[in-house]
Amino acid sequence: MQPKTPTRHRARSDVARTPLTPSIISGINNVSIGSTLGASPSKKRTAKTSSKSSTSAFDTTNPFIKPPSRSQSKARSNSRPGSRPASPVKFVSSSTIPVSEDLQRQAGEGVIRKGGIESRLDVVTRDYIPPTKKELKRSRSTPATNRDRFITTRDTESEVAPTLEQMHLNPVNSSPGHTARLVEAIGVPLNRRILSYHEPPPATSVDNALAKQIECVKPLYARPGSLSSSTGAITNKTRKIPTQPERVLDAPGMVDDFYLNLLSWSCQNTVAVALESSTYIWRADSGNVVQMGEAPEGSYVSSVEFSMDGTYLGIGIGNGDVELWDVERGQRMRVMSGHQSQIATLSWNQHVLTSGCGDGSIWHHDVRVARHKVMELLGHSGEVCGLKWRSDGEFLASGGNDNVVNIWDGRLGDVGEGARGTAKWTKRNHTAAVKGLAWCPWQPSLLASGGGTNDATINVWNSTTGARLHTLKTPSQITSLIWSPSRKELLSTHGYPTNSIMLHAYPSMDRVAEIRDAHDSRVLFSALGPAGDVVVTGAGDENLKFWRIWDAKAAENAKKKRDDGERRTNSTNPHVLAIR
Amino acid sequence: MTSKQANRQAITLKGSTAVVTEFFKYAVNTILFQREVYPSDDFHMVKKYGQTLLVSQDPALEDYLEKILKQVQKWLLSGSVTQLVLVIMSKETRTPLERWMFDIKLVEPPPDSKEPAPPKPESEIQSEIRAILKQIISMVTYLPVIQEATKFNILAYTSESAEVPTGEWLDADPHAIEAGKSQQVKMRSFSTDIHRVEPMVAYRFEPEHGE
Repeated sequence: MQPKTPTRHRARSDVARTPLTPSIISGINNVSIGSTLGASPSKKRTAKTSSKSSTSAFDTTNPFIKPPSRSQSKARSNSRPGSRPASPVKFVSSSTIPVSEDLQRQAGEGVIRKGGIESRLDVVTRDYIPPTKKELKRSRSTPATNRDRFITTRDTESEVAPTLEQMHLNPVNSSPGHTARLVEAIGVPLNRRILSYHEPPPATSVDNALAKQIECVKPLYARPGSLSSSTGAITNKTRKIPTQPERVLDAPGMVDDFYLNLLSWSCQNTVAVALESSTYIWRADSGNVVQMGEAPEGSYVSSVEFSMDGTYLGIGIGNGDVELWDVERGQRMRVMSGHQSQIATLSWNQHVLTSGCGDGSIWHHDVRVARHKVMELLGHSGEVCGLKWRSDGEFLASGGNDNVVNIWDGRLGDVGEGARGTAKWTKRNHTAAVKGLAWCPWQPSLLASGGGTNDATINVWNSTTGARLHTLKTPSQITSLIWSPSRKELLSTHGYPTNSIMLHAYPSMDRVAEIRDAHDSRVLFSALGPAGDVVVTGAGDENLKFWRIWDAKAAENAKKKRDDGERRTNSTNPHVLAIR
Repeated sequence: MTSKQANRQAITLKGSTAVVTEFFKYAVNTILFQREVYPSDDFHMVKKYGQTLLVSQDPALEDYLEKILKQVQKWLLSGSVTQLVLVIMSKETRTPLERWMFDIKLVEPPPDSKEPAPPKPESEIQSEIRAILKQIISMVTYLPVIQEATKFNILAYTSESAEVPTGEWLDADPHAIEAGKSQQVKMRSFSTDIHRVEPMVAYRFEPEHGE
């Protein structure tokens, strides 16, 4: 669309002399733009000649048109060159052809011959002039000081773009009188500065990862009763328990796994603890430690449980085997295999060793006979992690990773490989894995069960009626439960965040005492000593801790028994405990 | 008795400056907590002015405020600061949302009195300060809820002649809120024998159907 230079010259001179048809006018219009736009070497000359010719044209054809020189210089000096990139077309057309109102009117009416071009050019100028005019207006006729930058409500511009210059109420920009009046009106001293510290304030959230972690951990802290401030023990006024363990044993390699049951304390006062693939027996009387053999290569011990008389130890292995060991001799009696998954829990009833398997099945093994599997109990869809026979063998309670508590009739009717048992009660009130189970020693129908992290609730059931008698929400995961044999109290051990041992009164379920942070890690296992006074706890921090929880009563009992002349030989003697 | 009064009078400029600076510290902390500029976990409770106040325990923020207030104190001593503004703005767009302004004026003794006015009891000053801080806390009820993440800045309006530590304090944008979109509330004021502090808050308020 760029016409060639020769045409330009001709068109320009033609315009000066002859009236043109509209089509030609538009052509000329383009020409004139093109002439200035073109980057041809003749540009300078063209501009010069056109300005010259237009001046002469003004002189001859229209007496009302002012010579353009003044406005041109004004326009130049005002804003153009600095503020806009030198777009030649705009510059030249505005400066060479002054747009006065007279000219516009005449051009519109088509009175003058040259008006055609002028009006067209005017259109062009209008296209770009407005922004310039605005700029001019702002810097010239509206001094920045007119706007009050200190009282925000009076700010009329929608966008405040304050600069240092505006900040100062610079008197150069406005007349001294105006500034004085302004100062008086708004009552601010003239020379004022707004300063801010060179550094930005520290960022709100320092660490995204940390914030995320806090977010994740928050629900745990939000549990009722978890007081962030307290560590250590809370004990009742009427009931004091030692808040320090009586003894701490190192248990290196203890597996930090909620589902396993790696601690047992027999009535012969020996403690069995499984550390990875090895099982150790610690004799509380003497402090001797005996190793009870190793799990097969590549496997691990997943549960230990003493038989009721304390002479045998059942060991559940990760590969599904159940081993039977003679404690006294330290020999393995037999291996009962058949389970397909790890044996997370074991419980004895006389000669029947019951195993809970990772696949949800529960087997009764009669340890006396060759075909050891005498019954299978199917009632869990998740791993069985809690298993407790009632002391009279009437009922068996089981808890699983499917959040179910089952109570089974313990009587073995048809026994044999294919015998199946059915659950007497199935309770689905827990909302997390049920590991903690305990039968009440002084009221046989009571069963306590405790749920995992998402549940953290203790439920007490009546096994006869199936009713839920009590429920208690605790601050954290329940890992084990023990009823006191001598008091109406229930002990619970907890995981993160409290890592506590709690003692609850029954039936009020009031908290009697709490040892917070009993371990550095979650308390996973617990067992009651044969005298019913000391509780041993094991945790992922690889420690076994012995707590004298029910001492006073036990002492009382012992005293009474001494008076009666029948001293129990297997009571946990602190003196003996301290030997090692 | 009179000499004692005179003594008290003599130390007032420094004392007054300290009172005003301390007030700013607690006022800024209170605002930052109440407007949730920083997570509330960062704040801990302290007893001050006979009431419980929440003060940030984020060391970076503490340090930052410390530096600012130190300079403000210098300016107060030379009488060259006229206003302090705490601007709360959007973190992303930097749009100012709230401006908490504290006008600092010098109290001029009435021209006709020959004797200096009796010093203002400290308990009275404290109760005035308490009233302001309580007012700041109560303002949360009607200030618009800020949905976005915010940050803040502190501006000091000083006289031209004020001594400015080079490189540390720079001329700044006033972060003004556009007229028509802002509402202002004047708060209670307090005064010592020397200074008078008049707080005011301007906040962005756009009617639902506006614009």
